[in-house]
Amino acid sequence: MNRIESKYSDHPIRSWIISQSLNRPKRTLLSSLIFTLILASGLRFFIIDDDMLKMMPEDLPSRVSWDNIQEEFGSTEVIFIAFGHEGRDVFTPKALAQMWDLSEALEASTWVDEVTSISTSTRMDSYDGFMEIDDLQLNRDLSTDEVDAILKYLNKNERIKKQLMTQDGDYLVAIVQPFDSIEMVGFVAEVKSIADNLLKNYDVHYGGQAYFTGIMPPLIREDVIGLMATGMFIMITILLLNLRNGTAVTMVVTVIMLSLAAMMGFMGWMAHLTGSGKFLFTLANTSMPIILLTIANSDGVHVMTKFFKEFRVYKDKRQAVASTMDSLLIPIFLTSITTVAAFLAMTTSPLEPLIGYGITISAGILIAWILSSTLLPSLIILRSWDHNAKAFLTKSFFEKMIDKLGKVVLTHPKYVFSSGLLLVLIGLFGLSKVSVDVDMSKFFKKGSELRESMDFLSEKMNGTIDLRVRLVGDMKDPLTLLNMLRLQKELERYPQVRTSYSIANVVEQMHRTVMDDDPAYEKIPESREKINNLFTMYSMSGDPDDFSSMIDYDYNIGLVTAFSTNLSTQETLNIVESTQKFMKGIFSKATLIDFTGMIVITRDLITMLINSTIVSIIFSLIIIGIIASIFFKRILWGVLAVIPLTSAILINFGFMGYFGIELSHVTAILSSIIIGVGVDFAVHYIAQFRRLSRTIQKNELSRDVVDDVGYPIILDAASNMGFGALLFSAFVPIQYIGGLMVFAMVSTSLGTLTVLAALAELLKEKLIEREIQ
Amino acid sequence: MKMILLTLLMSSAWGQTGIEIAKMVDEKPTPRDMVNTTNMVLTNSKGKTRTNVMMSRSIDGNKKQIIWFLEPKDDRGVAFLKIEHNNKDDEMRMWLPAFKKVRRISSKRKGDAFMGSDLSYEDLTSRDLNEYTYKRLDDELVNSTQCFVLESKPNTSAKSSYSKHISWIDKENLNIVKEYSFDKRGALKKEKYFQHNKLKDYYVMNQIRVKDVQKQHTTEVTFESLEVDTGINPALFQEKNLKRIPKN
Repeated sequence: MNRIESKYSDHPIRSWIISQSLNRPKRTLLSSLIFTLILASGLRFFIIDDDMLKMMPEDLPSRVSWDNIQEEFGSTEVIFIAFGHEGRDVFTPKALAQMWDLSEALEASTWVDEVTSISTSTRMDSYDGFMEIDDLQLNRDLSTDEVDAILKYLNKNERIKKQLMTQDGDYLVAIVQPFDSIEMVGFVAEVKSIADNLLKNYDVHYGGQAYFTGIMPPLIREDVIGLMATGMFIMITILLLNLRNGTAVTMVVTVIMLSLAAMMGFMGWMAHLTGSGKFLFTLANTSMPIILLTIANSDGVHVMTKFFKEFRVYKDKRQAVASTMDSLLIPIFLTSITTVAAFLAMTTSPLEPLIGYGITISAGILIAWILSSTLLPSLIILRSWDHNAKAFLTKSFFEKMIDKLGKVVLTHPKYVFSSGLLLVLIGLFGLSKVSVDVDMSKFFKKGSELRESMDFLSEKMNGTIDLRVRLVGDMKDPLTLLNMLRLQKELERYPQVRTSYSIANVVEQMHRTVMDDDPAYEKIPESREKINNLFTMYSMSGDPDDFSSMIDYDYNIGLVTAFSTNLSTQETLNIVESTQKFMKGIFSKATLIDFTGMIVITRDLITMLINSTIVSIIFSLIIIGIIASIFFKRILWGVLAVIPLTSAILINFGFMGYFGIELSHVTAILSSIIIGVGVDFAVHYIAQFRRLSRTIQKNELSRDVVDDVGYPIILDAASNMGFGALLFSAFVPIQYIGGLMVFAMVSTSLGTLTVLAALAELLKEKLIEREIQ
Repeated sequence: MKMILLTLLMSSAWGQTGIEIAKMVDEKPTPRDMVNTTNMVLTNSKGKTRTNVMMSRSIDGNKKQIIWFLEPKDDRGVAFLKIEHNNKDDEMRMWLPAFKKVRRISSKRKGDAFMGSDLSYEDLTSRDLNEYTYKRLDDELVNSTQCFVLESKPNTSAKSSYSKHISWIDKENLNIVKEYSFDKRGALKKEKYFQHNKLKDYYVMNQIRVKDVQKQHTTEVTFESLEVDTGINPALFQEKNLKRIPKN
């Protein structure tokens, strides 16, 4: 055949692409490798970061308030360290000496800005007209009497006590605050190393937002590596069982690995070039490599199985490759762009990592498409194949299974369709049971060290989830301070809110001290002048920095802080809504109020999740419907393409409802994955239906379509069981994604071969007629 | 006569040890009493400032001092009396006009800031020579002024909040022109710069600039309307005199 004049397809572009692999395989291979290498070089800029705050849009009011608070009051993200022994009194000279050592060691660290503990706190006392501000713990080594004196003081000042020890008095607590804008992984590692080293003889528990932000990246890294290994193992095993040819499997795996490297490198480049938080690898991205792995595998599987089929017929690899690529270039391109459309729908999400997820995986899918269309056929051409090999001569287990399935479906299309419909209805009912929750503690398995620590701190301490109200007004005005107290009282009305504090509490305490420790004066003084006198007096004898976490430098901005235990979605929504209403009622319009903290940010996250999930599902279904309608030149095909997907999504969310799997920022990507991956099956089916309808009798049509695409679809779905690797994740939501994706693969592939096939069979008169026209 | 003595001291100072230099500084003549209007500007790391204006009277090298707050308006009328004792805790009292009460306050935490400034009580109290170990470092030029460089390390008995100070002392008049103070970890905590005026036979400090390099907070204290040896009556330093701001 003359290379220049060779024509491998009716379409000139298709013909040109195929000719590159057939006639210049080495050059095509080299170009593909260079292209991959350039993208993969971005891996050096790849960053893992799971700061929940960075997920939120920068202009979100609660995030703006949060940033303002960090600016004015220093970092509010802290680590809580609790140590002691369950059920044993921790208030001993030995434990306090240990706390002294811990506080000193932490304060000596260059990562630590401030440590709040019994050893670093001050006391305010009144002795015979004498106001004394002194260290709560005077020395490292204390006598029993001195220890009792500290306890007595703490019992008198419940708010301080609640911050410094657990409710039962069996654990002491240190709160460690980092310097602003430091790297949390290093901070957590430093704090843990100091505490673990000093507290070997105690039970130690860690918690707090800073702890999570710092502990997650290494866990994510570890998890992704483990998942990739498991996913690859599952996938290779399934491919080997079905293709029964090591070389063919190696070629598919090469495409997968190169696509993965290029995608991760792309993410690194994007993070580097844009400087955007969207391209940081978060917990939500943990599923991303596995998903690309399955999509790249899907492209490879289709090419390879088609090649096997054609080679069986032609017994000539060039002819087989030409025929394979001629029939698959368009469907693979189409499946890729429809999958890209589904994932790009994630860019409508207000959550930053989901936007980055959508863009990055879309890039990965396009890379996988390029490599499957160029590198893979080149590799096939460069290898010699034996057409007498078992893999080419006999059908595999899956192929035989598809034959049987095809018979069932096509004999009873109405029955199959009704069963599918019933499943969808069951799913619809479960939909109402889906709940939304972003409680970080539930991301870890019950009984795991992290979960135990989080539950411990939540229950035994006085909460680690903060709620902050930033008030702009005159902080020396008695009315402002009284309203702050009323707000605290309102917050503490909820049993989950264990403690709260503000400058108003300090003013009350100073007032009592100045008035000879008379408890009747533990209240806000009636005049501004008195409040001012108290602040001035404190500045003469104490460090005004003691107030820096409660009031700003100009006494114009105050901060009310409350801590709650872990909250359910409904509790979060209730607390936030009713507190906002309450504040509107008590503070004048002149007082500017910002409401933030993890509780509020969680509320915002929940709202955004629901909205973004609904928007991205609708958006992606519409786009896919439009693309399919355009490519298949019929709106009906567009509608039919999204039917199995819509059914799979309804069934999936229904099952989430039945099994109590919560929608979180991690599981929210499920719908995009289902649509993105599931659409491939429908596209392959429709493309083949249209292709064969031109040449095959209508009575045989559906049977032949199922026969032709059934095997690659089932093999594709089976090898996508690599998703099952996600079941081995350390993170519960990722495990759920794994389980649900395995289920979704079964439902979308079978949905295509049953519901879509049955519908096509039912509507074939109309569809075929149109095709002929 | 004093100048001749000082010059003689200076000429023999080239071979002085650290403790000898510290003694020379300590024995420098000081006024019997001092009157001034103190202007204190505090600036935090974000550039926000607070300004206090106070009227101050002191005797015995500041061992007895009374301060009346003039500004800001909120603080006008608040007054503070300090009497240092050698063998017991210092006495500090404060007049709170809104409460119409005098309250004693504690100075136990030496490292605590004085009025929210970068000067702690420890910075404001003269150092007891016996509680420090001195080491003379290589002399240096500071703004064309030849200076001794002296390292002072507190003994445990000093209960200091610092690990050491390095002071630059003008060789000519023994005024401290600059001092760096280091925290317990050995990290630089404060940079202090001093300016002096000659009044009568004394070199009197007229400006202090302190920067807490860790908190990025600065304090600038300027002493205006300075007068020395005015003959202040020691009876002024009593609680009852806190309640009324003197007319001048």
